[in-house]
Amino acid sequence: MRVRKRLSGLLADAALILYFVFALFPIAWMVILSLKPTNQLFSTYFSFSPTLDGYRAVLGGSEGVPFVRFFVNSLVVSVGAVALSLAVGLPAAYASARWRFKGSDNLMFTLLSFRFAPELTVIIPLFVLYQKLGLFDTYVGMVWVLQLVTLPLIVWIMRSYFADLTPELEQAALLDGYSRKQAFFKVALPLVRPGIAAVSLLAFIFAWNNFVFPLILTSNEAQTVTVGALSFLGGDRPKYNLTAAAALVSVVPPLLLALTIQRYLVRGLSFGAVKS
Amino acid sequence: MGWRLALRPYLLIVPALLLTCGILYPFGLGLYYTLFDFSASKPQPDMVRFENYATVFTQEAFWNSAWVTVLYAVGAAAVETVLGVAVALLLHRSSLVGRILEKILILPLMIAPVIAAIMWKLMLQPSVGVVNHLLKPFGLGGVQWTDTPTGALLSSIAVDVWVYTPFVAILALAGLRSLPTSPFEAAAVDGAGWWYTFRRLTLPMLWPYVLVAVIFRFMDSLKVFDIIYALTEGGPGDSTVVLQIRAYLEAIRFQRYSFGISYTIVLWAVVYLAAMVLVRHLGRIQRRAAEVVK
Amino acid sequence: MSVALRGVRKAYGRNVALDGLELEVREGEFFCLLGPSGAGKTTTLKTVAGLERPDAGTVEIDGRDMSGVEPYDRGVAMCFESYALYPHRSAYDNLASPLRSPRHRLPAAEARERVGAIAELLGISALLDRPVGALSNGQRQRVALGRVLVRPASAFLLDEPLSHLDAKLRQQMRAELKAIGAARRTTTLYVTHDAVEALALGDRIGVIRDGRIVQTGTREEIWYRPHDTEVARAFGRPRINLLPGTVAPGGVFRTADGQVEVPLPAPVRENTEVLIGVRPRDLALDGRGHELTGTVYVTEVLGRAVEVTVRLGESHVSLVAPRAAAAGLRPDDPVRLTLRPENLLLFEADRPERPGRRIGKSAR
Repeated sequence: MRVRKRLSGLLADAALILYFVFALFPIAWMVILSLKPTNQLFSTYFSFSPTLDGYRAVLGGSEGVPFVRFFVNSLVVSVGAVALSLAVGLPAAYASARWRFKGSDNLMFTLLSFRFAPELTVIIPLFVLYQKLGLFDTYVGMVWVLQLVTLPLIVWIMRSYFADLTPELEQAALLDGYSRKQAFFKVALPLVRPGIAAVSLLAFIFAWNNFVFPLILTSNEAQTVTVGALSFLGGDRPKYNLTAAAALVSVVPPLLLALTIQRYLVRGLSFGAVKS
Repeated sequence: MGWRLALRPYLLIVPALLLTCGILYPFGLGLYYTLFDFSASKPQPDMVRFENYATVFTQEAFWNSAWVTVLYAVGAAAVETVLGVAVALLLHRSSLVGRILEKILILPLMIAPVIAAIMWKLMLQPSVGVVNHLLKPFGLGGVQWTDTPTGALLSSIAVDVWVYTPFVAILALAGLRSLPTSPFEAAAVDGAGWWYTFRRLTLPMLWPYVLVAVIFRFMDSLKVFDIIYALTEGGPGDSTVVLQIRAYLEAIRFQRYSFGISYTIVLWAVVYLAAMVLVRHLGRIQRRAAEVVK
Repeated sequence: MSVALRGVRKAYGRNVALDGLELEVREGEFFCLLGPSGAGKTTTLKTVAGLERPDAGTVEIDGRDMSGVEPYDRGVAMCFESYALYPHRSAYDNLASPLRSPRHRLPAAEARERVGAIAELLGISALLDRPVGALSNGQRQRVALGRVLVRPASAFLLDEPLSHLDAKLRQQMRAELKAIGAARRTTTLYVTHDAVEALALGDRIGVIRDGRIVQTGTREEIWYRPHDTEVARAFGRPRINLLPGTVAPGGVFRTADGQVEVPLPAPVRENTEVLIGVRPRDLALDGRGHELTGTVYVTEVLGRAVEVTVRLGESHVSLVAPRAAAAGLRPDDPVRLTLRPENLLLFEADRPERPGRRIGKSAR
């Protein structure tokens, strides 16, 4: 009986390792591919002399692709989108958690429904609209449209964090002599700080990973790194090693952030899911 | 003075409301455009009422896209569910291996789907890709993964599975960890085998969590765009043109704006309908699961 | 400053918490509000503090209507049952918090002095630098109380401050509270579900039930002239003895089985269903008064006294006697009790919709 348990335990571990090999292999392969010199691309698979030329080319703007600019664009646009969503979403989340009133339920429902609409429904009209308004290929245009991704996430999750706080702490502050605004900033906000950190990073990752908005609504100036990674595949001689390097560079910020907030992710992933 | 207090919550949500209205405006505008024949070649369109939708529904391309989209969504959601639950069960056993690997479970999910598609594209590429190379000793090398209709669809589903299985696994794992232990202890005392425990206890109690994940994945896969665009661009031919890719082609490539938006509205209706049906189904399953536990 | 609630009504959805509450706390008075959980005690405090707005009725502090006045402008201090200490701050910061607020805005040096004095008074001076999470339950309670005492207030609102402490600590804190109350003379509204606490601490006591005040009065008024059987039962341990019966001709109370007959001190209409109430300490094994005979049912030692339960026909009564007098009493021993009719309380019979009201002249 014990032997059977040991055996099934080993089999389970083996199956688990098999899955994780499947999960991590593409990333590993990208590393290998990105370190391959161009002349060895088609000749060998695993034995080659590694070189950093691929990365130098990508970051140095070879093929006329301003990859570093794309990376900076991604950074600016993602940080901007999250900042705007926090500024607008935190008060709304607080109001919705503390007070029950008709407007808040409607707002919540509308924000949730954003998640189910196809992105192109809003992008195609914006494609036309942005050109008229001069927002095409601009930071402002991208930050605005990314609200579709970041605002619902931030409002939903922060609402549940605020609702978890007992109102008595803020009431104690009121009786100490603080106004409601001060009670919010001195008591409520510090207590949800870990929540804000986690949800900001998660929203940043989603904004960074977005592809379809920048694909259509940007061109050369504000293009992000997710679109830029495809640039090396075009033409009759696609540069696979450069593409691999570009892909890896573009994946570094989300991966680093994900490892930081790994513990808080369950709440973020099930946002809206269980509640609705 | 009382009215000022009552006003305060509304003041707090005004910025969010303004932003939301700002986002809703293009939605409304898009809906409005579908009633015209707006395109790059016709910047002053005429009102055609529901002609666009009629054309959509009578086009063979639409039904082809719809079929491919459904195949994709069902395939991806099904594989992700089974694999995700399996991984969650394996991790729940909490061995040393499991605890280490759990920390990196989330990684594929954090990679932009388009980048994941690029990675797989490179792996499946016949001349440079590693997949064929590894399959050669098994006699399977030489398959043109992205050049055949079936292969293209399967490859796309594979990328979706690769990225989103952790989503199901994480939710299922959280669900497993929140289940009460007493029914399982009772079953162990009664001498129940693993399969029996799984079928009669674990699965029914876990089902509500899993179904939430499945619904979300199914609805998101109906809207897939990034993965197909990067991997196959809809090809070969039209074999992987899902509905949102079709909308993109019509609106941005062919610049038939109204027509393209009509495709997205139809897709939106499909997703909404799927949500209604599945949520009702969820309610029924949850009630059944609650009875089983009793 | 006096505190008054007039006709206050507050409902949460379908749940009515306060139902036309009338309460007046005089200036400088230590008023204890007693009631079971769900009676509306916390809601009353929060309404006075301005944390809840009444649906109807008014709250007055020092005679001024507080409608529309925010909590931070009312000048009251509240100690929450859950303490509501700021978890991310130290004990010192919690105590100093009111002094740093825009309402009080004390310079740092003066604040430090005040906090030091209060900490000294409550015996927590050594704990000031500790984060709140590192304090024991009893220490946290004292910090919560300190946060109330540290600033000048027109009224103190204390919500069951001692209910989460163990028995020994509770007694100790009760004594300290009494001392502080006597020294400070700030109007205090103290809420509790413990009748012993209410009797010990209150200058006046109010009994609240289902969102209404049943009775207010001094210790003596509540004890000797309870409004109804429930108020009588709430105070006193062992519980007051209540015997159902009828008024026979001649102004005599008689139980159903006829075994107990007691002459009533005041005239009451004949043939009415009544309850008589006798406190255990008003029954004696010796002495003078109306005699009743019965048999011992059980005895229980309460330290220097003994509680003897006596069977009188179908009824049981308890009395408390000194140990010497009860020595040697065994179950089924015959026993003779005396009671003085002037100690009798007379009530209407309990009805399903409300407990029986006391019959007799009362000053509310």
